[in-house]
Amino acid sequence: MEKKTTGSVLFNGILKENPVLVLILGTCPTLATTSTVNGAVGMGLAALVVLVCSNVFISLLRRIIPEAMRIPCYIVIIAGFVTIVKLLVQAFFPDLYSTLGVYLDLITVNCIILGRAEMFANQNPVVASALDGIGMGIGFTLALGAMSTVREVFGAASFAGIAIPFLEPYKIEFLTKAPGGLLVYGLLIALIHVITKGKAPKKTSFSCASCPNAGTCRTGSCAEKGAES
Amino acid sequence: MKTHLKHLAVFVCICVVMTALLAVTNAVTAPLIEKNQNAAANQALLAVMPDGSGFETVDMAAYELPATVTEVYKETAGLGYVVKLTTAGYASDMVIMCGVKADGVVTGAVCLSSNETLGKEKTYGENFTDKDAAAVDAVDVIAGATKTTQAYKNAVKDAVNTAIILGGGSVDIRTEEEILADNLDAALPAGEKAFDKVFRVDVFDGIDAIYAAQNGAGYVFVVGEQFVGVNADGTLVTAGADNAAMYADAVTRLQSSTLEEIDLTAYPALEKTVVKAHKTSAGHYVVETKGAGYGIKGGNEYHPASNEYILVRVAMTADGKILDCLTVSEAETDGLGDACADESFYGQFVGKTEQDYTDIDAISGATMTTDGYKQAIERAFEAVKLLSGGDA
Amino acid sequence: MDMFKTLIVILLSSVLVDNYVLSRFLGICPFLGVSKKLDQATGMGIAVTAVMLIATAATWPIQYFVLNTLHLEFLQNILFILIIAALVQMLELLLRKVSPALHKGLGVYLPLITTNCAVLGVTINNITDGYSFIESMVSSLGCGLGFLLAMVLFSGLRSRIDESNIPAPFRGLAVTLIAASFISLAFMGFGGIVDNIFGGAAV
Repeated sequence: MEKKTTGSVLFNGILKENPVLVLILGTCPTLATTSTVNGAVGMGLAALVVLVCSNVFISLLRRIIPEAMRIPCYIVIIAGFVTIVKLLVQAFFPDLYSTLGVYLDLITVNCIILGRAEMFANQNPVVASALDGIGMGIGFTLALGAMSTVREVFGAASFAGIAIPFLEPYKIEFLTKAPGGLLVYGLLIALIHVITKGKAPKKTSFSCASCPNAGTCRTGSCAEKGAES
Repeated sequence: MKTHLKHLAVFVCICVVMTALLAVTNAVTAPLIEKNQNAAANQALLAVMPDGSGFETVDMAAYELPATVTEVYKETAGLGYVVKLTTAGYASDMVIMCGVKADGVVTGAVCLSSNETLGKEKTYGENFTDKDAAAVDAVDVIAGATKTTQAYKNAVKDAVNTAIILGGGSVDIRTEEEILADNLDAALPAGEKAFDKVFRVDVFDGIDAIYAAQNGAGYVFVVGEQFVGVNADGTLVTAGADNAAMYADAVTRLQSSTLEEIDLTAYPALEKTVVKAHKTSAGHYVVETKGAGYGIKGGNEYHPASNEYILVRVAMTADGKILDCLTVSEAETDGLGDACADESFYGQFVGKTEQDYTDIDAISGATMTTDGYKQAIERAFEAVKLLSGGDA
Repeated sequence: MDMFKTLIVILLSSVLVDNYVLSRFLGICPFLGVSKKLDQATGMGIAVTAVMLIATAATWPIQYFVLNTLHLEFLQNILFILIIAALVQMLELLLRKVSPALHKGLGVYLPLITTNCAVLGVTINNITDGYSFIESMVSSLGCGLGFLLAMVLFSGLRSRIDESNIPAPFRGLAVTLIAASFISLAFMGFGGIVDNIFGGAAV
């Protein structure tokens, strides 16, 4: 790993290694919660909190957690923080809770979080891990925000629940449904390809290191998986 | 082994720490979450009681409430109650929620779930706002959905009754059938609560209805609001009532009356209209006639024809006065024309003559059925004229 | 009979209508990652179905007999994911011991399943939907089969995509996602069917 400055750690996740649009991690919530801006941003922020907390916690314990037991430990820590965030959302933002439903629980298995624990937090000091969590979390939130903006504005003629009357006759309801999510995601990725002219780091270049399953993966399936996208 | 244990210990410690963190969070958030959930539940209740401030569940076990009531909530400021009911609609169960003020006035009603054909019950509840139990019956019916309407109205009435009962009042929550059964039982306990309505084939002036005990213990005569029990030997159950002789005579006639079947082959004119005919020992006639209801007349290419006539049994004096009337069979449309099998419809013909038999309330939404029924009655008059020796 | 009908509705809904991958977006990662070849897709699909069934059989009693009775509902997430992880590990060991051939076929996919959100998703959904044990098992079976169906269908599609000339920006994941979008669109057509066949019984 090259020497990292505070800034680079923070901004890395927002742009260069954006988890959703570049690393293609955490696709489930990206697709499932982006039919409305509110839900998407809520999901992004919830994931951000979990990401920062688990990064800090894991970084603190990185010398204590035994190598062989690290994946179960990470899972417990992440699942714990997910439940804490879920309870807090349920208590203070009940509307958001009913919007996100089971996807809030599923932050536990969001590849981004386990991936950052595995890739970053267990090798870096607390402050850097926290910044990495913030950066990745913001990147995740921004990507979700962008995608949900496209889907809600053009699919439901509203933004964050506020109606946009002049778009009403032209709305494409399909975009708010499941196939619309896949389509918009595909188009956004293509757009990123055009903007970066294909120079963005591909998942392959991270190889197994970026794959959250790397810890448990002892076979060739992982390499195959990484090689194709 | 030692390192394994150490690893396990670290893992267990982490688990314990996370559980502790969770327990703390849970302790803080649990009351808030419960409050939110209650608020969400109240939101639904507010729809039928907009002025309500808060609601609490009422323990239903402490009260005797109508059977349709499933949940009751009390408005915390004492404004009234919100009652949730499940009632049988036309297609399947309807779940209705109704808010009622303490004085029995409806604040709102909504249909929470239903599977009715027309779907009009969804907004029907709006009509009940600010009505009390007496005004509920006067609410316009849903056109073409008699059963749904009646079920809805009964549910709202049950809700009003519930509010009155919970408010300390008392209401007769028995259904009409239960009231009748109770009255019959009170009049003739020896009948052991099993009675059949008697199809009257003789003249019983001044008596509205007769019920016979299935075990042969006796009869109950209904005169206005009064139920008079008479033993099989003609003595009154309650001694000293008026008209003892009339009841004794009635019982004798009920017991001695016999029917003699008339051979219809002798009357070719009746072949198509009359299924059966009897003459009673008292000289009256009992005929079963056919009327073409919607099942036949309305059965055109876009409606499946049942090909069933409405079969009506009519008891009539020789001079053409209807003694009793009963729908033997019908295959009219469910929820519309099949109302002709209800006593509230065919009972209207009792006491009518050829001059005024058309003067009855039609079945709403089923003109064909009503007309077919009248046709059957008309044929009964014709048949009796012919059978008694007049000319049809 | 009514119960049988309910079960059929649950099964068909979870396979076709509420397909976990195409309509609820659970298990998208393996769907995009491992669906390139038919044999991989089938292996992964079968492994996921098996783990879903075993995980539901384990988590449902724990939820109802342990967590609910002790009022420890807040431990649901931690406990479920640990159970799933442990089950996956045990299943892998067992397969390796008992049937090396099967292990060769399915074993490689097992480690990937721990963090498959479809498995955690189905166990939690069964609880939130208030399903009975039998209903939960049927729902898990349906979700697994739905996953398998989506994987197999999609692997066929992908082999066609690979042979096509795709505009540069769309190469790789972009076109894959857009193709998935069309399959998902096709699955939306099942929405009305199950409801209509079984009338009011649909939940």
